[in-house]
Amino acid sequence: MKADSGQASIEAVAGIAALLLAGLLCFQLLATGYSATVVDGAAAAGAVALVRGKPVEPAVRDALPGWARSRVSVRRLGERVEVTIRPPSPFAALSDRISLTSTASAKSG
Amino acid sequence: MNETGNTPGNRLTLVTSLGGASGVAPVAAALLMEETAAGKTPLLVEVTDDQPRSATLVSPTETKALEASLRDLVSEVAFRARGSLCIATVVDDESAMNSLHALLDGLGREAPVAIALPPDRYREFVESSDTALDRIVFVADPPDRAGDRALAELALGEARELARTAELVSAAPGRLASRRALAGRRSSQGQGRGRRAPDLVAESGQATPLVLGAVFVLILGTIALVAIAGAITGKARAQSVADLSALSSARSMKNDLPRLLAPPTLPNGAPNPAHMSKFEYLMRARLTAVRIAVKNGASPLRVAVRFPDSISFAPVTTRVTVRSRVVGGDPGKTTDDWAEARVGAPISMGSVPSMASGGGYSGPLAERQGKGLRPDVAAAFDQMALAASAAGVTLSITSAFRSDAEQAALFAANPDPTWVARPGTSLHRCATELDLGPSAAYGWLAANASRFGFTQRYSWEAWHYGFVAGPAPCSEAGNSVGAGGSSESVSATALPSFVPAKYRKPILASAMKWGVSAALLAAQLYAESNFDPNAGSSAGAQGIAQFIPSTAAAYGLSNPFDPVESIDAQGHLMSDLLKQFGSPALALAAYNAGPGAVAPCNCIPSYPETQAYVAKILALLGGVGAISPMPMEVELVK
Repeated sequence: MKADSGQASIEAVAGIAALLLAGLLCFQLLATGYSATVVDGAAAAGAVALVRGKPVEPAVRDALPGWARSRVSVRRLGERVEVTIRPPSPFAALSDRISLTSTASAKSG
Repeated sequence: MNETGNTPGNRLTLVTSLGGASGVAPVAAALLMEETAAGKTPLLVEVTDDQPRSATLVSPTETKALEASLRDLVSEVAFRARGSLCIATVVDDESAMNSLHALLDGLGREAPVAIALPPDRYREFVESSDTALDRIVFVADPPDRAGDRALAELALGEARELARTAELVSAAPGRLASRRALAGRRSSQGQGRGRRAPDLVAESGQATPLVLGAVFVLILGTIALVAIAGAITGKARAQSVADLSALSSARSMKNDLPRLLAPPTLPNGAPNPAHMSKFEYLMRARLTAVRIAVKNGASPLRVAVRFPDSISFAPVTTRVTVRSRVVGGDPGKTTDDWAEARVGAPISMGSVPSMASGGGYSGPLAERQGKGLRPDVAAAFDQMALAASAAGVTLSITSAFRSDAEQAALFAANPDPTWVARPGTSLHRCATELDLGPSAAYGWLAANASRFGFTQRYSWEAWHYGFVAGPAPCSEAGNSVGAGGSSESVSATALPSFVPAKYRKPILASAMKWGVSAALLAAQLYAESNFDPNAGSSAGAQGIAQFIPSTAAAYGLSNPFDPVESIDAQGHLMSDLLKQFGSPALALAAYNAGPGAVAPCNCIPSYPETQAYVAKILALLGGVGAISPMPMEVELVK
């Protein structure tokens, strides 16, 4: 059965590699989706701060989970709050290339 | 495929076809793989014109050994190990029968053997062979004519004379099953019958469907999660549009409230250009809501704005409904998301008490940057901060009014009189002193503070400035600044311009007598009756201060239509309410709705009339600097 075992090993290695790849892709998909949800909420929180006359950037950061606070940039353009976040990625090359932006507007003055 | 039951592993089976049916070799291979016990290698002998099948990359050791042992047995026959199956290919030529017989004669037959024979070779084989056949299997298409069935019966009858059993297989395996069988893989059916598979782990191809299945499930699960999250995000986004629109509409109201409350006419009877009509006030709030909803991606046709308290003289609540399509639902199906926001008066004016007490200054405090100041000091600071800002300097207040208790705690922590005054001696208790920052502003302060009535108190404290342009610190005159006071010049400026001249003295007198802000009493009278001493209401309220008879009696007010008496009673009542609730907003709410409506929740009751009443008075007070310039907030109600 040595040859059989070898065949199974090859299949197992290929299978595990395929599973790993699929898992990473799924993680990337989920991380991106979750980041989209998070960035929407953060932009809305920033706009609420804007309408209440409070500082926008602290409000945006407070609305984000800890891991996202160092991956976010906030811009205020008149009545619009623009929040951009880089979702976490297991692929280093992708990490800097993916970014999600959400905007929310509110009366500012 | 027919089942022949568990049989010893060394039987010889001949498989051929009837009526030109295809699938002889796959059927033979499938039978072998199905019936071979673990550890034995079946041999498929295929007589064909085609090229020998190629060997698989990986095969069990036993199969490889059999292939190697047979390789030299008959030179015209090619042997290939394919998975757990060994295939011998006999070229279908003139010497085919000789080669086949030579092969069969040389076999030890320790494992099952099946011969896949073309139909035109069948008769030649059985007539020339003296090898005992255990089974003959005919592969045929399903018989659809009587002639086919008769032919099959005839063939089976003849075969039973040549072999122990004869069978007819009328359903050839499918393409995938054929490939699996010819690759030496066992069918799942075979395993299902309880026969022990050689080794499930080692079985080639077993892991692949498992892995593919796992990957499929993983991806499917992820897509489902993302789809659910997307739906939730979409719903949250629609709600967010409603929230932001409602808040923006309330913000518009907050901005416009002072103009709505401004008297429509000036004292000389001319229209007041600062006044805004209620229609314009509501229209601006409506347009703001729609504009912000559109900016956030909503269609203007799907935004509805209404004002639940629009019947009030000062509406402060707005409700925005945003209609959106249901993602993935019927095209016409919609869902409504709504939010209600209002201009709210904070229950407390921040951390600063509304009234200073406990030694030093005794009177109302105005709040600046979370610190308490005497109202005239606050007004002067506003001017100074504005000028500093124009010069690029942002002033911050580090400390202002400190009660004796606070000073005692500070001195206990730093018991050095050079830097911290002893309790009861600090000028900070007079609410006229400011500790200012940052250090970068010291130069500007040294050059400009005197223009606004401030002076640097001590040469060694570059941050400490005292107000010297008004009444002396901790003086009676200073105490009366916020309360209305006896100083005509100061008190006059503490009263809003809308107060009729004939009521200024009674208001100032009442304020001084009861320790209540004169501006507060004046704003109340404006909201209650617009200074009409003969005003009445459907609820039975009477006079300039709108006392109901029972409250009037409780405060010894014999004639509510006498403005001087009424204003004095008003000051008395407000003094009591301020002591009871500790907050101007709650005291005003209690004046309007009764203490019984405020006390249970320690909040402003949700009566539109009461909320508008409180908002109106606080807006008027903010205009004269008696309290923080931004006393009201916009907040989501629902």
